[in-house]
Amino acid sequence: MIPSAMASSTETALESLHHIKSTEPPEWLVPKQELSQAVRAASKLLFSSLKPYCPKSPFDQLLTEGFDVEQIWQQIDLQSQPLLSSLRREVKKFEKHPEKISKLKDGGVGGGEKKKKVLEQIETDNVVNDDEDDDDMDMDEDEDDEEEEDEEGEEEEKERGTEEESENEGEEKGGIEDKFLKIKELQEYLEEDEAREFGLKKKKTKAESKKEEEDTEEEGDDDDEEDENEGSEDDDDEAEEEEDELGLFDGNDEEDEDGLENARYEDFFSRKKNKSSKEKAKSRDMLEEDSGSDDEQDVDKRKDGPSKHEKELDKLRSKIEEMEKANLDPKVWTMRGEVTAAQRQKNSALEVDLDFEHNVRPAPVITEEVTASLEDLIKTRISEGLFDDVQKARTSSSKAPREIKELDESKSKKGLAEVYEEEFVQKTDPASALLTFSDELKKEASMLFKKLCLKLDALSHFHFTPKPVVEDMSIQTNVPALAMEEIAPMAVSDAAMLAPEEVFSGKGDIKEEAELTKAERKRRRANKKRKFKAEAAKRMGKKARQMTTVGNNDEGREG
Amino acid sequence: MLRRNIRLRREYLYRKSLEGKERLLYEKKRKIKEALEEGKPIPTELRNEEAALRQEIDLEDNYTSIPKTHIDDEYANATVRDPKILLTTSRDPSAPLIQFVKELKFVFPNAERMNRGGQVISEIIESCRAHEFTDVILVHEHRGIPDGLIISHLPFGPTAYFGLLNVVTRHDIKDKKAIGTMPEAYPHLILDNFKTKLGERTANILKHLFPVPKPDTKRIVTFANRSDYISFRHHIYEKPGGPKSVELKEIGPRFELRLYQVKLGTMEQSEAQIEWVIRPYMNTTKKRSFIGNEPEPDDKRKRNKA
Repeated sequence: MIPSAMASSTETALESLHHIKSTEPPEWLVPKQELSQAVRAASKLLFSSLKPYCPKSPFDQLLTEGFDVEQIWQQIDLQSQPLLSSLRREVKKFEKHPEKISKLKDGGVGGGEKKKKVLEQIETDNVVNDDEDDDDMDMDEDEDDEEEEDEEGEEEEKERGTEEESENEGEEKGGIEDKFLKIKELQEYLEEDEAREFGLKKKKTKAESKKEEEDTEEEGDDDDEEDENEGSEDDDDEAEEEEDELGLFDGNDEEDEDGLENARYEDFFSRKKNKSSKEKAKSRDMLEEDSGSDDEQDVDKRKDGPSKHEKELDKLRSKIEEMEKANLDPKVWTMRGEVTAAQRQKNSALEVDLDFEHNVRPAPVITEEVTASLEDLIKTRISEGLFDDVQKARTSSSKAPREIKELDESKSKKGLAEVYEEEFVQKTDPASALLTFSDELKKEASMLFKKLCLKLDALSHFHFTPKPVVEDMSIQTNVPALAMEEIAPMAVSDAAMLAPEEVFSGKGDIKEEAELTKAERKRRRANKKRKFKAEAAKRMGKKARQMTTVGNNDEGREG
Repeated sequence: MLRRNIRLRREYLYRKSLEGKERLLYEKKRKIKEALEEGKPIPTELRNEEAALRQEIDLEDNYTSIPKTHIDDEYANATVRDPKILLTTSRDPSAPLIQFVKELKFVFPNAERMNRGGQVISEIIESCRAHEFTDVILVHEHRGIPDGLIISHLPFGPTAYFGLLNVVTRHDIKDKKAIGTMPEAYPHLILDNFKTKLGERTANILKHLFPVPKPDTKRIVTFANRSDYISFRHHIYEKPGGPKSVELKEIGPRFELRLYQVKLGTMEQSEAQIEWVIRPYMNTTKKRSFIGNEPEPDDKRKRNKA
């Protein structure tokens, strides 16, 4: 390349860089043609400045005309990727043998005094660098456009590059320092680190959170890593510087992206007092991030590929931690007991497959089979005639059945007087009522039954019960015994039939002598006398007649 | 009328209260009868009353020996007179529900349909008692589909609450000619698988909605109980080829009834005692059948037995 042409291009590029620096942050929010041109020129310059450090890159220049952002990026990537791996190796080496660094350092300086001088120089440089860094940081935080971000990154890198170049030109520590090892940058870094440790801590937390997002989600590991980072930072400061530069690519990008995500008021409109410290912190953060990412790689590489056992242990540990975390967290709502709608998320029950135990038999589905079975049942019932109809209930009689009196239409044989007589008898003498059955049939039936019972009793009982007395009324004819036994009927007079007491009609002296009253006695005596006299007179009359007849004969004698 | 009602109700309650004593007596008589039949000595606690009770046993006949429960008293007069049913709906019935109730009116002989309007239940029941109705049937719905049936027997009788499922109405079958008209003869009844006490009770309630039929009617109404779901079917039969062949033709609506409550008063008596209520949250509900016997599962068990 022609030096003059180089010089002119570099000048224009530097101009464009300055132009970029001078633009206000809000202007970056809107894509502008001139700004993008400037940025492209600047990135071209940076690329070519880095070229000598990457022997393997296929590009001599960054090709920007007519190229897409992605393509430009790819070119930058191609250049930087091989460098990164080599740098990592170098840094690890220095990690393992930190004494080499100090040796390099001491050897180069040749004593503590020179070291101090170097340190002072580094400090002054640091101030300068810091100021430049501050500007860079400002620019960084404001980016929205990716392309611009990238360019900024490169720009900062370019700044570092210039720093480096100046440093390189200024100091030669002879042997210790080479293109990778810069004592100055080491000193800077050391101071920043110390200030950070003793000074502001808030930017640290921001970086920590970023790291967490980037690396793992486990706090324990984060802590470990941070500790590692802090430890290793102290060790590997020198070695990291070169890596920082390149790591700044990634770091910056990461930082920028994260910066976008976590952009805060303070980032844009920070107070002047804290500005510098914040910038320092930010720079520290960036460095820390880079170191962090570097550290991970370092750690991994230190172990030389973890052994199987260690891998298993790691797995186990991670599992254990997962489970412990799950135990400590509040349970998922499905695992809690009774959960109302207010205690779980909206629509969360829709996502879960819920299962209920139903304690009722499900409603019957009426299929063809069911209908057919029912119809079969009905048909059998019909053919058998077995129905469950309502039966007409036999009305249980509440009264005894009325006795139906049969009306006999023939003329009654009894006269009315006899009817009344019977009624009277019934009333007075209830015993005789037994004889008056209203029903002839009943009477006959009861008679038959009694006879039957008698016969059965005679057959069955040891103790014979005699014939029951049947009171039977029959007419007694008052006929003399002789007449009854004689066959021929005779005309019988009542007088002959009657018993002597019946003969006695009651004309004679009925009363006893004791019963008589005086008058009656006299009467009786009087009656007796009369009867006697009557009889005496009768006798006299009879005698007289006899005597006359006889007396005719005998009259003369007396006479 | 009011006083008569009060008197009847008091009688009913008195008889209900006597039931306890009567049951005791019945139990004692039964024990004595058993002891006598088996020739065992009479249990000692009954020795004192034994003579009197034995006399009573001798004087008893079929009618008096069974202890009467007040529950059966409700249907004591049912067989004497034909049932008279009032059909009505819940308030604001939809058109499909009205059609369904019209169909039901033809299913139950001697039934009257009435528009509900804005009447209160107690009013309806009072007027029914006055007009000597024996039963009131209320039909409920859900969006046009009938889903509830309440049968209330009138003087003080029990009320049975059913849920209706799988309802198919005659109106669903659009073709009028295919369906034809519905005969209005008094039907024969088939009540299948009502085995438990509750089943007997339900069978009674359903039975007494129908009058005594002539022995030669061709119309059949079936209530078949399958695992506590009662299927209602309505057929006409013919015997075309002699007495053994039977041809069925289904007419009338078809639905499943599910009993969920039986109360010992009429519908309006909210304080009436609940005779039985379904308990779906009981753990053993699934295993038990409340209305009839489960059909034997003809699977492994039977095969193993055989």
